[in-house]
Amino acid sequence: MTEKKTVSVNDIELAYIDEGEGDPVILLHGFPDSSYLWRHQIPALVDGGFRVIAPDLRGFGDSSKPQEAEAYGMQTIVNDVVALTLKLGIKRPHLVGHDWGAAIAWMYAFLMPRRLDHLVVLSVGHPGVFATPSLEQRAASWYMLFYQFPGVSEELLRRNGWRLFKEIMGRDGDYDRYLRDLARPGALTAGLNWYRANRSPEAELRPARPFPPVYAPTLGIWGAGDKALLEEGMTASGKYVKGPWRYERIEDAGHWLPLDAPDEVSKLLLGFLGTERPAHEERRPRRRL
Amino acid sequence: MTRPEQPDVVIVGGGIAGASAACKLTAGGLSVVLLEKQATYHDLVRGEWLAPWGIVEAQRLGVDDCFSAGGAWEIREWMTWDEAVTEDEVEAVDMTRFIPGVGGPMSFPHHAVCALMAEQAVAGGARLVMDAARIRVVAGERPVVTYRTEEGEHELRPRLVLGATGRGCTVGRQIGVTMRNSMHHWGGGMMVEGMDGWPPDVQAMGTEGDVMFMVFPQGYGRARLYLNFPVANKHRYRGPGGVERFLAAYALKCLPDRGRAVTGARPAGPLSVWPSVSSVPEGPPLTEGVVLIGDEAGNADTVLGTGLSCAMRDARTVCDILLASSDWSPAAFEPYVKERGSRLERLDFGASIISRLHVEFGPAAVERRRRVRRLMARNFAAQVTGLLNMVAPEDVPEFGFSEFFAERLFRETA
Repeated sequence: MTEKKTVSVNDIELAYIDEGEGDPVILLHGFPDSSYLWRHQIPALVDGGFRVIAPDLRGFGDSSKPQEAEAYGMQTIVNDVVALTLKLGIKRPHLVGHDWGAAIAWMYAFLMPRRLDHLVVLSVGHPGVFATPSLEQRAASWYMLFYQFPGVSEELLRRNGWRLFKEIMGRDGDYDRYLRDLARPGALTAGLNWYRANRSPEAELRPARPFPPVYAPTLGIWGAGDKALLEEGMTASGKYVKGPWRYERIEDAGHWLPLDAPDEVSKLLLGFLGTERPAHEERRPRRRL
Repeated sequence: MTRPEQPDVVIVGGGIAGASAACKLTAGGLSVVLLEKQATYHDLVRGEWLAPWGIVEAQRLGVDDCFSAGGAWEIREWMTWDEAVTEDEVEAVDMTRFIPGVGGPMSFPHHAVCALMAEQAVAGGARLVMDAARIRVVAGERPVVTYRTEEGEHELRPRLVLGATGRGCTVGRQIGVTMRNSMHHWGGGMMVEGMDGWPPDVQAMGTEGDVMFMVFPQGYGRARLYLNFPVANKHRYRGPGGVERFLAAYALKCLPDRGRAVTGARPAGPLSVWPSVSSVPEGPPLTEGVVLIGDEAGNADTVLGTGLSCAMRDARTVCDILLASSDWSPAAFEPYVKERGSRLERLDFGASIISRLHVEFGPAAVERRRRVRRLMARNFAAQVTGLLNMVAPEDVPEFGFSEFFAERLFRETA
């Protein structure tokens, strides 16, 4: 894998992988990953003729880790992605997101509909589904609420050799690597700030805000073994997508789809990206009279 | 001929003691070269149990996250399964409350933690040399270290050398530190996985038949197993079928379900056996320009499980001295020598009591253990030696180290 590059955007340093040539695909990881999450998909997409860009989102990997919770609002992070595309001269990327990265991808689709080609969301469905959670979904996201106590939870998670963190993560994803990453200076607070800045318990009580419909061709993928998120979150997302919507369920995978089913995810991406008619066709510049 | 590199400190040995010292010294702004003889870190079957007081030292060294990230697992209870304890007398000893703010002891893959410490030292600016062979140390006001790698012969002229080569005493032997060695029994160890039937928070240490067994879970169904056994038939786990015999030794009546959780586990690393030697240095473990730390500076019988905690204490104490002033003469290390001497004296004393009680076999030994249990139940103070692997030796009450106590313990239970 090539070296990561770094770019200054939005008052932070963003590290990213940029490989291959062709239509650009941006891969957005979730908690507590980094661009390393996509290590199996990157070569497959590059071979498939795509230019792959995988940033370490703020707070993770080799990117800056501001310590204030306010620095991790969804819009700020979407701005990082937009600024990255501007710096790289990318007009309309395909966007692929997992976990928090999927939430960012949805938000990007709302805010930047004309700067988006195809959208792929893994594990996390449309926030409209989340805004009216079923009882079952609330139980599954108990650990999200847990992250809401600033100051205390770092201590709790680190206590006794990160015992609680190990219990929450189990042997999922790159479990043996997360702790190393989160032990880096400021990394744990930064990672938890994603939770603190978003989806606070108060936000849970606010009425669902109206989300703009998504016109981009959208593929939702969910792993049948996901312990954190329910299938309903993904299947019910279809009604918020006005463009072509496709749902794929992977049986032998948990929450970390890109790691649990690397080949299947790559195949789904290659078979979907660029195949549908995009929502906003490239227009010829209007001739001036 | 280029001038030899002149780092502040050369650390010989990238194990737990050496690598943690490298982390602390680089964090303190010193230039460090760390020499390790392995080409890559792998399982050598070393100590993998860190006492709560050792965890405190690791925190002070700033390497506690290396343990956690390297796979450290907190153990919370010790089940007193033993042939001298009847089923309804078995107790769960809560190990999480010995030191405030620190939980139970940690069990972890030794080599993975060393690798992370070395990585952290390098990130802090240390130079790490793996595969360093034929390391020679010449003591003196400006010590000389030579070593060989694939590229050839190298020479370093540091201000100070830390010898941290473990029980091999590679540095100690070269600077003339001699040890008084004694051996009570043999030991062996192996990593296993697939121990899903074993409670992950529970360690076991007990004796049955002619083995003293130890099980230290490391989470996710993995565990480090150790056996201590008599010298008489020390080669029992060697040769073909050794691994199978080692696992089969856990088919014990005192373990739940006759130890099936262990005997059915899969080996996940090499099996290693060794004479369980205690080495007490006959003089101070240092000389002009060279200071020994960790097992290299002397060690108690492994049965106590305090080797790693001692290594942490050594690294922390010596690093504090190195970072406090530029006086690195032998006299500056006097507090270390003194504290280490009395610490090892206590540990050696305690380990000899534990060895005699728990690593001796046969009907008389079983009877003694039964009587000791009754004595300890009657008089709680008699359990003093058991404190030794939980709290720092200086915090264990003085009377536990008197010949009078040992004499009484063994006379009353003979």
